[in-house]
Amino acid sequence: MAYILLRDLDIPDIGKLDVYTTNGGWEGFKKAVTQHTPEEVINIVIDSNLRGRGGAGFSAGRKWSFIPKNEPVKYVVVNADESEPGTFKDRQIMEKNPYQLIEGAMICAYAIQATAVYIYCRGEFWDLAHNLEACIAEAREQNLIGQNILGGNWSCDMFVHLGAGAYICGEESALLNSLQGFLGQPRVRPPFPAQKGGGLYYEPTVVNNVETLANVPWILVNGAAEYKKIGTPESPGPKIFSVSGHVARPGNYEVPLGTTFRELLFDKAGGTGTNKAFKALLPSGASGPVIPVTEQMLDTPMTYEALGKLGSTLGSASFILMDESTDMVWAAYKMIKFFKHESCGKCTPCREGTHWLAKLMEHVIHGEATMLDLEKLENVAKQMNGKSLCALNDFAINPILATLKHFRSEYVAYIKTPAPAAKPKQPAPVKKQLEEVAEPAGD
Amino acid sequence: MVTIYIDGVGYEVPAGTNLVDVAKFYADNDIPVFCYHPKMAPVGMCRMCLVEMGSVEKDKESGTVLLDEQGSPKIRWMPKMQTACTQTVYDGLAIRTNTQQVTEAREDIVEFLLTSHPLDCPICDKGGECPLQNLTMRHGPGVSVFYFEDKMHLAKHVPLGELIYLDRERCIQCARCIRFSDELAGDDVLAFHERGRALQIVTVSDPPFDSKFSGNTTDICPVGALTTADFRFGARPWELKEVPSIDPYGPEGANISLSTRLDRDSGGGIIIKRVMPRQNEHVNEIWISDKTRFGHHHTRHIDRLVTPLHREKNTLIETTWDKAFKQIIDKLKGATSVGAIAGPGLSNEDLWELRQLVLAVGGSEKSLGIWPATMSGGEVVKQVGIAKGSNFNTMGKGTVIVLVATDLEEEAPIWWLRAKAARDRGATVVVLNGRPTKMDRYAKFSLRHEYGDAVGAINSLTAHIVNGNHHKADRAEGFAELQKALKKVKADDRYAAAAEAIAGADNVVVFCGAEGVTLAQHAELMQACANVLILTGHVGRTNNGLIPVWPGANTQGAIDLGYTAEATAELLQNPPAVLIVAGCNPVGEDIAAANLRNADFVIVTSQFDTATTAIADVVLPQQSFAEREGTFTSGERRVQRFYAAQGVIGESFPDWKIFAQVRHAIDKSTAKVSAGAVMAEITKSVAAYSAMGYKNLAQVERQFPDVGGTDQYYGGTAYQNTGGIGVQWPVSAENAEAKLNVVPVSSEKSKAKGLLVVPTTLLYDRGMLFVRSEIMSLRIPPAHANFSPADAQKLKLQDGDMVEINLEGASLTVQIIVNETIPAGVITLPKCLSDQPGPFAPMVAGSIEKVAQALAATGD
Repeated sequence: MAYILLRDLDIPDIGKLDVYTTNGGWEGFKKAVTQHTPEEVINIVIDSNLRGRGGAGFSAGRKWSFIPKNEPVKYVVVNADESEPGTFKDRQIMEKNPYQLIEGAMICAYAIQATAVYIYCRGEFWDLAHNLEACIAEAREQNLIGQNILGGNWSCDMFVHLGAGAYICGEESALLNSLQGFLGQPRVRPPFPAQKGGGLYYEPTVVNNVETLANVPWILVNGAAEYKKIGTPESPGPKIFSVSGHVARPGNYEVPLGTTFRELLFDKAGGTGTNKAFKALLPSGASGPVIPVTEQMLDTPMTYEALGKLGSTLGSASFILMDESTDMVWAAYKMIKFFKHESCGKCTPCREGTHWLAKLMEHVIHGEATMLDLEKLENVAKQMNGKSLCALNDFAINPILATLKHFRSEYVAYIKTPAPAAKPKQPAPVKKQLEEVAEPAGD
Repeated sequence: MVTIYIDGVGYEVPAGTNLVDVAKFYADNDIPVFCYHPKMAPVGMCRMCLVEMGSVEKDKESGTVLLDEQGSPKIRWMPKMQTACTQTVYDGLAIRTNTQQVTEAREDIVEFLLTSHPLDCPICDKGGECPLQNLTMRHGPGVSVFYFEDKMHLAKHVPLGELIYLDRERCIQCARCIRFSDELAGDDVLAFHERGRALQIVTVSDPPFDSKFSGNTTDICPVGALTTADFRFGARPWELKEVPSIDPYGPEGANISLSTRLDRDSGGGIIIKRVMPRQNEHVNEIWISDKTRFGHHHTRHIDRLVTPLHREKNTLIETTWDKAFKQIIDKLKGATSVGAIAGPGLSNEDLWELRQLVLAVGGSEKSLGIWPATMSGGEVVKQVGIAKGSNFNTMGKGTVIVLVATDLEEEAPIWWLRAKAARDRGATVVVLNGRPTKMDRYAKFSLRHEYGDAVGAINSLTAHIVNGNHHKADRAEGFAELQKALKKVKADDRYAAAAEAIAGADNVVVFCGAEGVTLAQHAELMQACANVLILTGHVGRTNNGLIPVWPGANTQGAIDLGYTAEATAELLQNPPAVLIVAGCNPVGEDIAAANLRNADFVIVTSQFDTATTAIADVVLPQQSFAEREGTFTSGERRVQRFYAAQGVIGESFPDWKIFAQVRHAIDKSTAKVSAGAVMAEITKSVAAYSAMGYKNLAQVERQFPDVGGTDQYYGGTAYQNTGGIGVQWPVSAENAEAKLNVVPVSSEKSKAKGLLVVPTTLLYDRGMLFVRSEIMSLRIPPAHANFSPADAQKLKLQDGDMVEINLEGASLTVQIIVNETIPAGVITLPKCLSDQPGPFAPMVAGSIEKVAQALAATGD
């Protein structure tokens, strides 16, 4: 079957506007604009049951339908921050097949009658962002973007914005803050981005992931019914899985949702490629709980629902594989340090909790911890759970809680003094480091 | 009103209010908060206020509340706890604050906060009135399993400017300071830097923390992270005795609390350790300007006059009160003419006794002058002053706030702050001035007129209102005449939209200042403003009327007691034989006061040596506002009490006592023994003040939102108002029957050719009292004049050059600033920045000569 998203694998030059156009590009958009009303477009997308590919899996069409009709200014924001560790699917789309994203975003813009589209790229996507700008300029010349698009009354422009390198800016409200030039910190909701007062510049805004929008042109051309034939009823459509870690052939794989882990990990990615067995899988980068790789698990279909049943989430489907040589405590330590580094600092539990967890894990890794500390890890994580504004707080405790649950013995192996001996009563003399400014980045 | 349920009990609360505020006010349920502040929009970031939240289930058809078996309403609870601070109350909202889940959540958050907090309470200025301390005691887990060595150690003395210090260890990242500066003060000067645990407050302005309201951030800081350079390490809160007082500088009448204690700095006497705001939701809410907060040092300055002085062989030497009195009494008895000039900081009691003295020795009301003598229009205020009971807190959509000839932030910062807050709630701001000021940023209509033509600008408004038939003439006396006169006014089209906004508004408040306006013009300007208000029906109702931006804390009181600026002008022209100058320095400030030297005998009451005491024959040491009690009347006509706080310096006396003693010696009247007794006499003699007995003025009321006393938002006691919220006197427009005078006014433009020097008012100047607060010295700019780029080019002057400006015989040396906001043909010259007197009224400059070149740029 031909690729729907990673079309560059079939047509190498699809990143050029003429190649894209001759291969059916812009048909979905033209069809939407010339044959459908905005409401009809929204209904088609609702019908297709396209679920957000950024992580939450919310119905894209319903998200669009929340935008109030009578507001004069509305925006589409493309979340191209792609900052989840191990995720690199959006990058391939934007690098090799940018017009599909641009077209998808314009269809969305038409559906909500937006006045502008902003593509928010992470700071590291420097080249890619400039390439996108060039693509937008070409599309603008063809009257696909800009004033009176395709000769109609509707006008909408598109801009690319580069972030400054913060994981939190992948969270939609922090992204909007960053886009507006503010500190990248999540906003209080309600008002939600779709509501007046909650979106970009406080106007109603749809925030969609790159991959989500890249699905849209195909749906417009082929219809919702055709789309639903791919994948499972609850999770229809193709999905790109970014596979990395201990695998023979890491990379992006586009398969229908509902494909089993075994097919992806062995048939596509070629297993570990060594004589070691898989040990564990991080199904959505650092933020989803780790799953031990078992025979039973390998036969599970990869859908939003099934991953939930495994005690994890599909998230952005960035599969990081770990083979049996992996030290899970060390892995958890790396992840909590990542979250500590990326916590924006707005909410107390996340700001202080990630710091505390990282410190405790440091003690574990250095062999200074006691069994009490393992309990403490669990308690601090529970203390954080569900108390913050955005999900980073809850993501941060996943690596700790999941590894403690599945690989507790590895933690115990780190404990050199199993008896719950208290820490020395006398604190070590505090160094008079009054000017320990910001903790060094990436420590 | 809506019904909400807190822990199973229903409460009737006003719709649209914040859940945390109403829980505290109506249910006495203190939901703990750190980042939330009732005066700012919630951000929900400290997570301390997590509660279980739900909604009452209602029958879908009838809308009646469904009940469970016990007869209490059925509630659908949300799965996760929610922040109470981000919730606006609605009918059927239910919360639980006493469950185990909530209790544990509070413990968790406190524990998290304390992991990064140094717990150096024993050496912390906030210790004793610290919300973190209080909430830890009430909600904390008591113990923590956090390893002490894992704490971060950060810089503890980071200056955010020279006034405010940041202790980075103590900061809990609540962003109250940033949000206050940004949202309320409109000063984008603080920001977060870094992220996560490294998140820190930095100042992003140059000069650092460039805000006139910076001290307020130390009050709202829920920990000891922000402290003032003035108070840090000065005292412990529990040693301080709070004395209610009133801001001695501005016309807003900001309520303050003087925190005093016995101190070794005064050899064991009682001194002021700090000035804190005192909550008065009618006046200043809980805010004060930095001038009010840090400008108290004159009260115990080393230069305070401590004994009477008299002139002998042309020098002032120390004398006794008896000898000084004898001289004064002799002179007054035989005086052919007597006059008095009363300073802006004289209390109503002082003014009354001074007035009685002048009248007793043959003076008249025409010889009672106020200082500074820049504004007129007391009669207009009596008619159409802002109505009793008005409150900026209740202004928002539908209100139009008009600023006429004033730089409000410099002249009355608290009014500026409150007017801006009203604008943020939806009020429309109209600014009429000769140059842009800070309020222009927030104005819907920024209207520029030529300096000297303010009356013409208002006439344009009036003409548009009448020509557009937007007026209501039913209460206007003399409308026919006005209408006739308006026919001659060429209404400027730029004013049409603003006129329409004013006419169509629900409420209109006009602030009238005197920038670029002569005293004679000002009387007309006030009447012009009154014409607009009367013809649009915006008088006599709450939140409507005129607020004069008086130059002093008690200018309104002086006017109420018969003093006028016109009398001052007359006294400056023709000095009387015996002149009393009380608590001001006309000779040192205004070039027009040079004539006062010609008075035969000059009596001055003063706290300091000034250019005016230098021409005096007798100088009497006057007490500062902190040593005595009295009352001030604010520009909104609220009479408010202040109380004696600190020990008396030297042999000084309050003015009322001095004048009462002198009068007693002359006419054998009963000398009052207390300020209260003086006020008792005023209540009998001055109709407007009949209700202003000290007992009435000391009345307090419970204020919403609660931010004082046992309150945990603040935790201190200084906000608590125990001194009285004051009493306003009503204007005649509030009587619905009363006819109100509209009078045609015309603007006479000066015909003199040349550059017009416009004196402006700066908040931080070298006024004789404020300049004694050395902590503020870096904030007082050097003597300077602002030139437009065009004029500077014409005169071949550069930014930074020193010039000598000649003005009607006087000359003034100032540095020049080339300022694009200044219109061509105008020089703005801030008052009271130089040791030399400057102009107080706009006048045409004589020659301008460069006396020194600007230092060349150093090139770094």
